[in-house]
Amino acid sequence: MSTIISLSVLGVLILAEGLLGKKAWHLPTILIGLLVSLALTLSGWNLNLHYYNEMMIVDNSSVAFSSILIFTTFLIFMFAGHYYRGVQRPLDDIYAILIFALVGSVMMTSFGNLIMLFLGIETLSIALYVLAGSHKEAITSNEATLKYFLMGSFLSGFLLFGIALLYGASGSLNMDEISAYTVREAAHLSPMFKAGLFLLIIGLAFKIAIVPFHFWAPDVYEGTPTLLTAFMATVVKVASIVALFRLFSHCFPAIRETWETTLWILAVLTILVGNLTGLYQPNLKRMLAYSSISHSGYMMLAVLAFSARSADALLLYAAAYSVATVTAFGILILVRGAKGNDLFTSFEGLGRKNPVEAVCLTIALLSLTGIPPLAGFMAKYYLFATALEKGYLWLVILAVLGSAISVGYYFKPIISMYLKEGEGIKLEAGFAYKTHIVFLTVLTILLGLLPAFLINLL
Amino acid sequence: MFTKYIFFFLSTVALYSAIMVLLSRKPIHSVLYLTLTFFAIAGHYILLNAQFLAVVHVIVYAGAIMVLFLFTVMLLNLNKEEVSPKPVWIKIVAIIAGCLLMIVLIGIFRGYDIAIEKDPALTQIGLVKNLGQVLYKQYLLPFELASILFLTAMVGAVLLGKKEQI
Repeated sequence: MSTIISLSVLGVLILAEGLLGKKAWHLPTILIGLLVSLALTLSGWNLNLHYYNEMMIVDNSSVAFSSILIFTTFLIFMFAGHYYRGVQRPLDDIYAILIFALVGSVMMTSFGNLIMLFLGIETLSIALYVLAGSHKEAITSNEATLKYFLMGSFLSGFLLFGIALLYGASGSLNMDEISAYTVREAAHLSPMFKAGLFLLIIGLAFKIAIVPFHFWAPDVYEGTPTLLTAFMATVVKVASIVALFRLFSHCFPAIRETWETTLWILAVLTILVGNLTGLYQPNLKRMLAYSSISHSGYMMLAVLAFSARSADALLLYAAAYSVATVTAFGILILVRGAKGNDLFTSFEGLGRKNPVEAVCLTIALLSLTGIPPLAGFMAKYYLFATALEKGYLWLVILAVLGSAISVGYYFKPIISMYLKEGEGIKLEAGFAYKTHIVFLTVLTILLGLLPAFLINLL
Repeated sequence: MFTKYIFFFLSTVALYSAIMVLLSRKPIHSVLYLTLTFFAIAGHYILLNAQFLAVVHVIVYAGAIMVLFLFTVMLLNLNKEEVSPKPVWIKIVAIIAGCLLMIVLIGIFRGYDIAIEKDPALTQIGLVKNLGQVLYKQYLLPFELASILFLTAMVGAVLLGKKEQI
């Protein structure tokens, strides 16, 4: 609760600063404000508080995932100063909307009632529709926002209809009462409840970009301003998958056999289609879009094999994925700034001219592939181990196959950087920017070497 | 008995006008049929003893949003007959998918009794006083947090509407 209040106050504060014309204050305020709300979030550890008729339940998992989301947003805002350096107009509106989107994602990690889930998803989505179109002159940005808005509002209808049917069948929107209903009626579940469940899955699958509801993702990611794409690919993705995990582990464990096959098929499709299509992408941004799709497939394994250990594995995976993706987007911003595009040919010769950036991008991509001893490998290892414990042998085999395919595209920019000769323009990164990227890389390596820090938390 | 006839009348009107929204060629006609659908649904709300919802529905949807739609259609001069450019196979696939969803929905509602209160005349929840009690007590938190959603939407509208270089 203190998280939501502090973040909302932060958003309003940014708008007030914009009103006063204090443009230079925005970023310091945001960075300090995010750290304050991170501290407030962590102070709720082990308290297990319930707010306002179980509308919000702040348990340890919600504290952990909210902290990851806030920290990732902090990491992304560290790039904001460089990304918007040439912009004359005040940026208070974009920053404030980003903060409000974060409030929505925090709601999605700590909801105790389906109304709160819907409200969180809508806050997040509406903020993103605007952010996707915030580069008003670019036709690609206009396309992104229109596509995202039309499809997103249509699929929100599915989500809401699903929630309404669940309410009609169980008579409650409260997660505990729905869970009690499923235990009571497990043997003869009403068809209305099942239909509601599947409409809910469709709605959430769209927000996460799970195959076959992923068609919007590459176009929207490509058109959105790069800094905001980083937010989409990390915070939004993690928040949606955590919402799915929370919903299924709280509400529907008693009726496992109803949804197990569906989620199994969705996970396999996501992993295989995401990775195979990723092979044919011409530039890094689209490639990262497909990478994010396939990673949501891996994270579905945690939803399928839920237990206390799979929550741990999901936490580590979310952290590893977010840090590596933010690093990759940080370099992407630099390359796009220098070259104007992010085709793989633009990376040629980067290894010699900019050794630091090249090494950081390489480590981030290797971590996303899952090469030991980096964070991505440990995360995948724990995730696959929990899935194997629950007996999902074939799912894990297919997921490993998907990881093997992903080597094919994650190595494309690496090969361009080191093995191809190119003119390789010098990237203009300031000292602070470089330090931040190196810090992120160190974080990736540390998470891989010391996963115990996150793995035994929940 | 009398309410039953009203129910069937309102349902027929709602279904007919909803289908006509899709079938009419001119956007203006679609919008007007949509207004009719909203009024029929507001009638349903009154039958369910939810006066507040009915009034809000008429004011917000049939009033404000419809006027907005009409203005947009007229200002953009969309009132032309347009041939849909979609290929035939997309139409066929859409029809099949839509019909499947309809069959599923009809299937789940057939012969199933709903867990919530059955006789609408007995529930007093739709009255303004009771609605206020529920909204400001049980659902206080979502009610307040919706303000963040609206603030986001407003800031976003200003951001997209402003004429400035980024």
